[in-house]
Amino acid sequence: MIQLNKNYSLPERLTEFIPIKIASVGGAGLNALDRIILDGLERADVVAINTDVQSLTSSVATRKVQLGRSVSRGLGAGGDPEVGYQAALESADEIREALADTDVIFICAGLGGGTGSGAAPYVAQAAREAGALVIAFVTLPFAFEGKRRNAQAREALARISEFAHAVVCFENDRMADLIAPQAGIHQAFAMADITISQSVRSIVNLVHRPGLIRIGFDDLLSALRTRNSRCLFGYGESDSDNRAHDALTQALKNPLMDRGRMLADSTHVLVQVAGGPGMTLSEVEILMQELGRHVSDQTQILFGAVVDGRLGDRLGVTIISSLSAEEDAVLLQTPPAPSNATSSPACEHYEPVTPQPELQSEEPAVESVPVEEPVPADEPMAAEALPAATPLSTETPLIPTRNGEPEHLISKPHEKSTSWKEEKAFTEKPAPPAKQEVLQFEPVTRGRFEKSEPTIIEGEDLDVPTYLRKNVKVK
Amino acid sequence: MANNNLMVGLEIGTSKICVVVGESRPDGTLRILGVGEAPSRGVRKGEIVDFETAMKCVHEAVVDAEQKSDVMIKSVYVAVAGSHLQSFSNRGCVMLPEDRDEIDEQDVEDVKINAREVSIPAQNAFLHSIIQHYQVDGQQGVLNPVGMLGQKLEADFHIIHGVRTRIQNTIRCVKELPLEVEDVVFSGLASAQVVLTQQEKDLGALVIDMGGGTTDYVLYSEGAVRQSGCLAVGGDHITNDISMGLRIPMARAEKLKIEEGSCVLGNCLPGEMILLKDDSGFAGKEIECETLNTIIYLRLREAFELLKRRLEQEPYLGYLGAGVFITGGCSLLSGIDHLASEIFEIPANLTHAQTAWGVTSAVENPQFSTAIGLVKFAQVMDVDRPPRGFSRIFGRLFSGKR
Repeated sequence: MIQLNKNYSLPERLTEFIPIKIASVGGAGLNALDRIILDGLERADVVAINTDVQSLTSSVATRKVQLGRSVSRGLGAGGDPEVGYQAALESADEIREALADTDVIFICAGLGGGTGSGAAPYVAQAAREAGALVIAFVTLPFAFEGKRRNAQAREALARISEFAHAVVCFENDRMADLIAPQAGIHQAFAMADITISQSVRSIVNLVHRPGLIRIGFDDLLSALRTRNSRCLFGYGESDSDNRAHDALTQALKNPLMDRGRMLADSTHVLVQVAGGPGMTLSEVEILMQELGRHVSDQTQILFGAVVDGRLGDRLGVTIISSLSAEEDAVLLQTPPAPSNATSSPACEHYEPVTPQPELQSEEPAVESVPVEEPVPADEPMAAEALPAATPLSTETPLIPTRNGEPEHLISKPHEKSTSWKEEKAFTEKPAPPAKQEVLQFEPVTRGRFEKSEPTIIEGEDLDVPTYLRKNVKVK
Repeated sequence: MANNNLMVGLEIGTSKICVVVGESRPDGTLRILGVGEAPSRGVRKGEIVDFETAMKCVHEAVVDAEQKSDVMIKSVYVAVAGSHLQSFSNRGCVMLPEDRDEIDEQDVEDVKINAREVSIPAQNAFLHSIIQHYQVDGQQGVLNPVGMLGQKLEADFHIIHGVRTRIQNTIRCVKELPLEVEDVVFSGLASAQVVLTQQEKDLGALVIDMGGGTTDYVLYSEGAVRQSGCLAVGGDHITNDISMGLRIPMARAEKLKIEEGSCVLGNCLPGEMILLKDDSGFAGKEIECETLNTIIYLRLREAFELLKRRLEQEPYLGYLGAGVFITGGCSLLSGIDHLASEIFEIPANLTHAQTAWGVTSAVENPQFSTAIGLVKFAQVMDVDRPPRGFSRIFGRLFSGKR
């Protein structure tokens, strides 16, 4: 893997293996972790952290840390973040030990409860201090769980955002929209677990294995780092004759995507195309052209392609983006609340055909000077603090240039340095906390029924015109 | 009112409110004396969302009916609809005591109560429990078991229930006028009373009453109600789709739907346009005919397919001898019968109130099917049981389980 990337040390080691740890905090985090493990994730260590011994015992994680032996005496934190925090303090050494020696730490937690809200920010802090790149996946409670819990969750989210490099935030309410209304409540909760699991695994897959055109943590971070508040995520797969089109359509069909309409407003879109050896250049072209129609000219497209024999005739598309948070800037909470998106499974590739490093990273918040040539890779910082973050904030590369380009499959989609100013202007707004706004996704399409009780049958909102749901074009 | 054989049906619909005054003749026929109607506001998908406004509209319609029929309206039968209504079939069973083997009326009451001993959600109330048939010691298809000999009496009931408070809202709206509510009836069931003849019920028929906000359906087989329900999709949805698809205001979309709409594709010449005039008479916008029809077609097709999937959960749909009967405002849409017969794969007919006479314009208008059906329902009830007071209904709704 030739990685001419300037950013941080991660790519250097890509040839072998980036040490990744997944730490889950609290009951909800443990559930998500179990799901991740059961779904199968290779090459990552998992650490379960909780106050409640019972749930720790039943967890399938290999490494477990019990918090607050004396504070909570093996019971849960009883919904009190203070107890959770004290428990974490008490077990600080154990947490540090568990998180040591790794470059990337994913933290999974369900916010709102005692351990999740209290201990997770502390774990994030510890992870950051250990010098790792920290990405947090958190869920916000259902609205019906009460205002108190929601407030606790928001507060915890704000604190986690201080320490994590990126926060991927899921609202449980939003998860509930993804499942059929008549499904049981356990399914609603399971949905959050599944989505977290999917995101973690796909992000790991996305960056772990080199592809023709690699997507690195740098790309991922720039997709996540735009201080936006809503994640857009879609995955589609198809093996039909028109698989490029079908896979994209399917990816855009994901409710979080709102048929691609939301993409128009986002500043960064990360796309990874994965296919078997039979994937052709023209297919990728078709797909990217089609996607191009959904994004604005200002959007920076971070593109990756991988070939994986295991996909066979199938072609998979993963789209990750975040939506700018202008509308809900009201929610002032914390400064850096990146949000982001989840991604999907798939994309493995085992035919490293001279991977093409591709780099584009970009830094909102820092004034930028378009740099034209590739910046050489940073000195690998071994286990120093903030491998990822520091470079990011000091550098201002924003040109989506790819360096060292031998044969690349595809030329980079949109490139725009002109847009930089505008982009920056609005990314600098007070950042709202990472969150997925439910309202935003209510499409404008319910018209007269906007305010009435929705008619949801078999998972479809019948108030939305049929032709829209069936994607029939009308003039 | 019950004593002089006058009965009034009131339907608080999503697009309009209909009041029908009927008279039960000594020979058992039903004569419509007058109808009143008023455009409806404050109602969405068959349920009241703006109490005050809806009340005014109901008042308007009632006054209209009073003037046209020259009758003072004191009490009404009210139709209810809404997506909260649910139904299922259940069997009740009673064993006669050892020393007696003649089934009497009390046993029939008991079995009815027994059939209702099922759990429905706590906030729900029974709206109807309709007898399908009785079985005496395993003998099928008994219509009236009173006086028969047997040890074991079973009864199959079709039970319709809904959220109590939402049904009460409708009742309250009428009561505040003030009018007395004789009974509340599921609107689909009311329509079926007049659009189907007894023969058709025996042969097997599906009634689809597609109104402004909801589509109510009742399936009859062997003379008994087998399936029923309410889909919160109706003409309003079509109008909304048109309005959004063609980017024209709701009122204009509604007019376009009524005047030009059709759910048959391929009937228009390619490129055939409809010219929309704006208010001042100037040519406004041109709309392709086929586009309009496509929007309507997709919506209706989806609604019918949804209905079909629901009905297919039980085996009756394949054995309907009489076919599908479509009524309600949406049945006026051109080609809807073809679409229905294509989807349900059985003949579909457009229909309106059959078993009544009087003001022909009302009887022949499918929009009045439900309101006329209410009067018919009242007539049938009148024969079966003493008039029920308002308190009785409220009692029934409050008691929930009964």
